[in-house]
Amino acid sequence: MVIIALGFSMAIMISIPAGILASQESYNSIISNMQEETNRTATLIEVSTSSGRGGFSGMPSGTSSGTPPFGFEREEVFINETIVGEIRTIEGIKDIVEFFETSSEETTSETISTPRGDFTMSRPVYTIMGVSLNSSLIDSYSVLPTDIIVGRNLQEGDTGVVLITSNITDYYEVGLGDEIEIYGESFTIVGIYEPESESSTASREVYMSISDAQIITGNTGNVSRLDVYAENDSYVEEIADVIETYSEAYDLGLYVTTYNDRMETYQTMLNNAESTLSQTQTVAFQEIVIAIGATSLIVLFTMLYTVRERTKEIGVLKAIGFSKGNVMSQFMLEGIMISLIAGVVGVVIGIVGAPLISSLLLPSVNQLSPQQGGFSGQAINFGTALSQSVTVSPDLQTVLLAFGAVVLLGAIGSLYPAWRASRTSPMEALRYE
Amino acid sequence: MSNVVLETENLEKVYELGRRKINALSEVNLRINKGDFISIMGPSGSGKTTLLNMLGCLDRPTKGKVILDDVDVTKVPEKSLCKFRKYKIGFIFQTFNLLPYLSAIENVELPMEGTKKSKSERRKRAHELLEIVGLSTREEHKPLRLSAGEQQRVAIARALANNPAIILADEPTGNLDIKTMFEIVRLLGRLNVTQETTIIMVTHDSHVAARAGRMLFLSDGKLLKKERKGMHLVKGDLTCPNCHKEIQPDDDFCRRCGKQL
Ligand SMILES: Nc1ncnc2c1ncn2[C@@H]1O[C@H](COP(=O)(O)OP(=O)(O)OP(=O)(O)O)[C@@H](O)[C@H]1O
Ligand SMILES: [Mg+2]
Repeated sequence: MVIIALGFSMAIMISIPAGILASQESYNSIISNMQEETNRTATLIEVSTSSGRGGFSGMPSGTSSGTPPFGFEREEVFINETIVGEIRTIEGIKDIVEFFETSSEETTSETISTPRGDFTMSRPVYTIMGVSLNSSLIDSYSVLPTDIIVGRNLQEGDTGVVLITSNITDYYEVGLGDEIEIYGESFTIVGIYEPESESSTASREVYMSISDAQIITGNTGNVSRLDVYAENDSYVEEIADVIETYSEAYDLGLYVTTYNDRMETYQTMLNNAESTLSQTQTVAFQEIVIAIGATSLIVLFTMLYTVRERTKEIGVLKAIGFSKGNVMSQFMLEGIMISLIAGVVGVVIGIVGAPLISSLLLPSVNQLSPQQGGFSGQAINFGTALSQSVTVSPDLQTVLLAFGAVVLLGAIGSLYPAWRASRTSPMEALRYE
Repeated sequence: MSNVVLETENLEKVYELGRRKINALSEVNLRINKGDFISIMGPSGSGKTTLLNMLGCLDRPTKGKVILDDVDVTKVPEKSLCKFRKYKIGFIFQTFNLLPYLSAIENVELPMEGTKKSKSERRKRAHELLEIVGLSTREEHKPLRLSAGEQQRVAIARALANNPAIILADEPTGNLDIKTMFEIVRLLGRLNVTQETTIIMVTHDSHVAARAGRMLFLSDGKLLKKERKGMHLVKGDLTCPNCHKEIQPDDDFCRRCGKQL
């Protein structure tokens, strides 16, 4: 019993630093990912017509009748290519990558649980991504997905072909080389790539050439998003200003996002992560203090109990000539033995249970990998940086440290009981029953 | 060197319980020679245990001297007293008081812990002692696996471990049936003869007491003047632990089975 209890408090001592280390690591990886992303996109100005991707509409289902319709319809607004032409004339622009993004015609029902009841809503089956298949752009910028599972990527001059996520092949039961009908037109699947997340409907994507996408949806001459690349970062703010002024003047409703804007978003996320981390550390510190206190108290009370239980034995030891020091060291040794055994148990529990224990005791560890990747724009894949799962595995140093701590605390906890034992009068102790 | 191993002079012990004073012992003058086998009798509360505690350096008298091997132990500082308990005295208790988690032989080795003896020497000595008390076949038994009589034999072997000047036994037969009771007394008698151990034994049983060489009486904390001779070394009191044939006190070997005594 005692050993298990001690084992647990030691396991806590192992798990918490391990949890902290893991959070620290995930925090660091977030930062380095951000740095990479921001460096890579320092010259990028994103121009789009809406701040979010995808749209859905739905009606409430279930018991909560009388509630107003849930959901919304997104009105699709596009950027006309003549405007793109105007933007192209701005000084300092190196390249413009055009995207045409829209929802599939088909929709699917999805049930979402909310505190107000379950809502069934329909949303598009997948998202169509039309990209300019200009080889110089494809080579220079992140235009196409990279995780191809089978087949090939799209290339310059492709038409009537698509690159799709693997979760679409499951949905439509189609495979590489099969035909798939999109907006009434037939497309050949030339490649399949890995979606960002297997389960989410939002991650079903179909890539095709921008002109194919424009034609089948009847949007020739329209684009939904522009990635404007400046010659160098000194032009970025200027270009963004010009585009914004232009958009206001002609009421185009364009959203312009630059490196600086993104930096702000990054910064808030960074701050969040940082405060989560420091909260976690505070909690961890408190829990370690509690574990330390608990360990020494457990040993203290166990040994006090033992000493009391064995009063007579102490009397006997003294009667046969054991000195105070002998008795004291005898009981100290026992206390240390208990904590040694507990230490071994603790190492086992700690190594096996560290992820569970740290997630129970440090709920915020998991929050450090939030799904809050709500950052607009596909060029920057910020979600991946954050969704890396935290792996908690205690290292040898932590384990040894906790082991040493438990043994030391065991020694401290048995100090007073052992001292009490050493002072027992043999005559009194022998009378004790 | 005198032949006196233990002597008390006007020994007095007063217990104070709040305002009440209990005269547990008063004016006890005792002189015990080397090789004596003494029994002390007296009604309950007469101070027998108190006296043994004084003699065994477990408690200090209020007044008087306890001279053990020419040293007045009442003047010995607390720190060194444990040395006296360890090397000069062997205790035997009514309830045996063996350590339950140690085997018979480990219990016997216990008093030798911290002495100059090496581990193997201790083991050898414990082995010898268990043989003397007739328990060589029970060395690895834990106390709970031993009969009461066997436990008391282990306790006696333990008391002998450091070759003490005197053995103090507080009702050593109090928890035993009649047959075992006499077995134990006989064993003590034999040790007294063969090992030349000085023994002081407190008992309620007059038959047991009569097996000693001298019988003392304690009443109300005072030693009575009358002292009786016991029947120690009377024919039939000593038997071979192996074949139970009667043996003579100065025999080295049993005459029937040849066992070393
Ligand atoms: N620690 C103590 N504090 C106070 N009084 C005590 C203490 N020990 C013994 N006494 C008292 O001293 C007296 C003698 O006690 P002691 O234990 O020596 O008697 P005893 O002859 O051994 O009796 P018994 O045959 O029942 O064992 C008793 O009246 C007892 O109550
Ligand atoms: Mg008594």
